[in-house]
Amino acid sequence: MSVPSLFTFTLILRQRRAAIWGPWAQRTQRLSLSWGPLLWAAGKRSSLDLVELSETELKEQFVRGDGPGGQATNKTSNCVVLKHVPSGIVVKCHQTRSVEKNRQIAREILQEKVDLFYKGEDSDVYREKKASEKKKQEKKRRAKENLERKKHLKEMLQLDRK
Amino acid sequence: MKCLTPSLLRRFWRLLPQYVSAGPSQSPNLSPKQSSLRQSCSARPGLLTAPDVVSYWQKVFEKNGIPEARESSEYIVSFVLGAKTFQSLDSEKLHAPLTAAQQEQIQQLSCKRLERMPVQYVLGEWDFQDLTLKMRPPVFIPRPETEDLVSLVVEEESRKCGVKNSAFPVAVPPPVILEIGCGSGAIALSLLRKIPQSRVLAVDKEEAAVDLTRENIHRLQLQDRIHVLHHNVSYGSAKHLLPWGPMDFIVSNPPYVFHEDMASLDAEILRYEDLDALDGGDDGMRVIKTILTLAPSLLKDSGSVFLEVDPRHPGMVEDWLRAHPDLLLTLHAVHKDFCGKPRFLHIQKQSK
Repeated sequence: MSVPSLFTFTLILRQRRAAIWGPWAQRTQRLSLSWGPLLWAAGKRSSLDLVELSETELKEQFVRGDGPGGQATNKTSNCVVLKHVPSGIVVKCHQTRSVEKNRQIAREILQEKVDLFYKGEDSDVYREKKASEKKKQEKKRRAKENLERKKHLKEMLQLDRK
Repeated sequence: MKCLTPSLLRRFWRLLPQYVSAGPSQSPNLSPKQSSLRQSCSARPGLLTAPDVVSYWQKVFEKNGIPEARESSEYIVSFVLGAKTFQSLDSEKLHAPLTAAQQEQIQQLSCKRLERMPVQYVLGEWDFQDLTLKMRPPVFIPRPETEDLVSLVVEEESRKCGVKNSAFPVAVPPPVILEIGCGSGAIALSLLRKIPQSRVLAVDKEEAAVDLTRENIHRLQLQDRIHVLHHNVSYGSAKHLLPWGPMDFIVSNPPYVFHEDMASLDAEILRYEDLDALDGGDDGMRVIKTILTLAPSLLKDSGSVFLEVDPRHPGMVEDWLRAHPDLLLTLHAVHKDFCGKPRFLHIQKQSK
């Protein structure tokens, strides 16, 4: 194949490839992702300052059985049992049908429990819970006050009519 | 083959007062066991809550030798109540009596489970990482181990991206990924979601798998960056796939069960799943070898192949690659699954 025709062929090939991928064929900068299966620390609760759990302190159990696993098994028990060895706290998670998600959620819950265990009232988890309880009580009190005020107003109006 | 016997069916209907016929026959003749089941119902007599029904079907499954009796029952009841798992059911749903329609639906689904149909096919859906995917026999059901295969690819892509960006602060092309044997589309769609801008070519030799993957793509509205091809990689060269390449990654969960192990698989698998998606031939390596043979002509330099395999395969693959140096592929790493078994291979194409 001569050089010019090879060049044309490559050009056609690249154009065809661009056509296959449609309008998204423009070269764009890739976003870098920092999450990986071993980076459990980055979770929903990054706003709270919690004790970090090291994987070496954790013991995980799955109901997967002793069999070969993988393709040879089709078990649906995705429950994850996670233990923090130093404190002895155990979390059982079967919130979702995905093992990976259950592992992640188990770690989040365990992290909160361990933080509470070691820090007690100093724990952000404890403080957040107290704050939300206080808010609830405030809301109830205000609702009660409103109700009383309306009742009082109603009574006043009825007296006026008489 | 065990199934719901007429007597069992009658016993079940008797527990639901709305189904008792308003005829001359009066209160059903309950055996002591049945009446104790009714007494244990937490709501008013005759009204059944989720835990009651789970308990009932668990016993039925156990009597009929259905594996994972409790889990199956929980998944079915949760599904009918709109939740993914029993543990995630809110307190209101847990204590509310089930409607007749709900009980009917549970019964229909449970009858399928009594035929050893896998729960994922019974429900017609299952979850894989963050995705809920449609499931349909005989298309292979994604296994939980495979979630980690996706994470490995994402990690490697992120690592490469970091290296490139530090060296050349210039726009780089989006990664191109080929998945061989896409099945329901679990791996392909997860990668699409987790690696923004990635392009995926998913191939499968079975039309049923191609159709199901396309359905899942449309359900998740991810059609822009993925193409599904009905193609058998075992037949012929890589020329059908070249127009989409060269690829940064080839990913696969190929059939890797040793042929001699096929007969001992559970009835759920043997009766309902496509056995071609499991049988890897005598040494379980037939399709693995095909993929590795194709890889060099499809991969970019330093491109990677990620495979899920049987725990016996890492050493076998390493030996095979050494015996085929012309392929210029090396076994870069072996990763374990969440049960500690060597499960994933990272093979790299050497750069010239």
